[in-house]
Amino acid sequence: MNSFWIHIIHQAIFGGIASAGFGILFNCSPRIILHCMGSGAMALAIRTACQSANLNLPESAFFAALSVAAAEQVLQPFQQTRGSIIALVGCIPMVPGSMAAKGLTNLFTLLQARPGEEITAATNGMRSLLEVTLTLAAIGTALAIPQLIYPEKEASGKTKTLR
Amino acid sequence: MHSDGTQESRLQRSCPVAVRPPLSDVGRLSLSIGRLFMEFGESARMIHEEILGMAHCLGCDSAEVYCQHAAIIVALRRGEEFCVQMGKVGEHGVNLRGSEVVKDIVRRVSEGDIACSVGQTQLDNIQRTIPSYPVWLVCLCTGLACSAFGRLLGADWLSFFPVLVASAVGQWIRRAMLVRKKNLFMVTGIVSFVSALLAGVGGRLLGSSHLEIATVSAVLLLVPGVAVLNTQTDVIEGKPNLAAARGLRVIYILLFMTLGLVAAQRLILQGL
Repeated sequence: MNSFWIHIIHQAIFGGIASAGFGILFNCSPRIILHCMGSGAMALAIRTACQSANLNLPESAFFAALSVAAAEQVLQPFQQTRGSIIALVGCIPMVPGSMAAKGLTNLFTLLQARPGEEITAATNGMRSLLEVTLTLAAIGTALAIPQLIYPEKEASGKTKTLR
Repeated sequence: MHSDGTQESRLQRSCPVAVRPPLSDVGRLSLSIGRLFMEFGESARMIHEEILGMAHCLGCDSAEVYCQHAAIIVALRRGEEFCVQMGKVGEHGVNLRGSEVVKDIVRRVSEGDIACSVGQTQLDNIQRTIPSYPVWLVCLCTGLACSAFGRLLGADWLSFFPVLVASAVGQWIRRAMLVRKKNLFMVTGIVSFVSALLAGVGGRLLGSSHLEIATVSAVLLLVPGVAVLNTQTDVIEGKPNLAAARGLRVIYILLFMTLGLVAAQRLILQGL
């Protein structure tokens, strides 16, 4: 087995563990914790494979989240839970929290930067935050697409709300 | 909600509720449902669908729901009767099993298995009836999740156990402080500092060479992932006000988390 597959399996295993851990933290029902683990593993495997194919983080996260959300939508008739709980928990390990922290940390260092270093610090911070924003937008959009294309049958679809 | 009569008739026929409870009771029940869903981390779309579906089944001709971050307004109409009620929403969190319990109550009220008043009583007592995991298991699993994040970010195995312990302790502190109704942002800053400090000290004692990643991994339990994704969903589905409020809150949580992290990293990476 070459290093590519080992890397994908590694990411899938720890993505699954992270999803299951967050599933417990979010008080998911015990019967869907394994589904959450599978969903997280699938998401991280697809994201890693996409990144290996030279896609950037937002693109990779988009395809991973779309795959997980589509799989959950297809399997919806066989599930007891409504909504997109499993896809949501599966995508939690892809939320770039560490990158957001890094971006904000870089902006903090801007306050102490010596003359000539400001541009580098500002660029690093803004780049990280831009990547965070795009990745979150990608995940959120990908999670919403299957439900917009193929809404659940229970939904009345007759809402008019004030905005 | 102004819908065509054909659809309304179809919906009402599919709802087997024969007794129509007073409109004010339906309004109160709808508010309780919306409030609990908001507090349990559901998106605005889910809240609208559940309330509207139930209101139709309880004989309402029309229903409108206005979700805001701190309040929810429900307007119901049945013939010449009209009822508007507003309620306050508490601290937003995530409790997926709580959401399932609420959905189950809504389904049973809609199908006529239980009366509206019984559903209201069950919702009023819901905090005592939602099953939950033991605190030690939640802390352990949170620690495990953060350690897994560390591995995903490229941390070495030497930092795995320190991150696990630090995050578990952080989760325990967070829970203890939130139960005592402490300010969420202050709690975030304190937990971030303590978790990062413990992970850094532990990693250093065990000889880890990835202290920076270890400290970052240990605070990832604080990232409001569900709120972030709900913000996205609300934007896409046309609820910009709620999305803006959720987004602002997410930004502040991340800011306080980073402040705690930076303070701990200063001690670990530069001093101590």
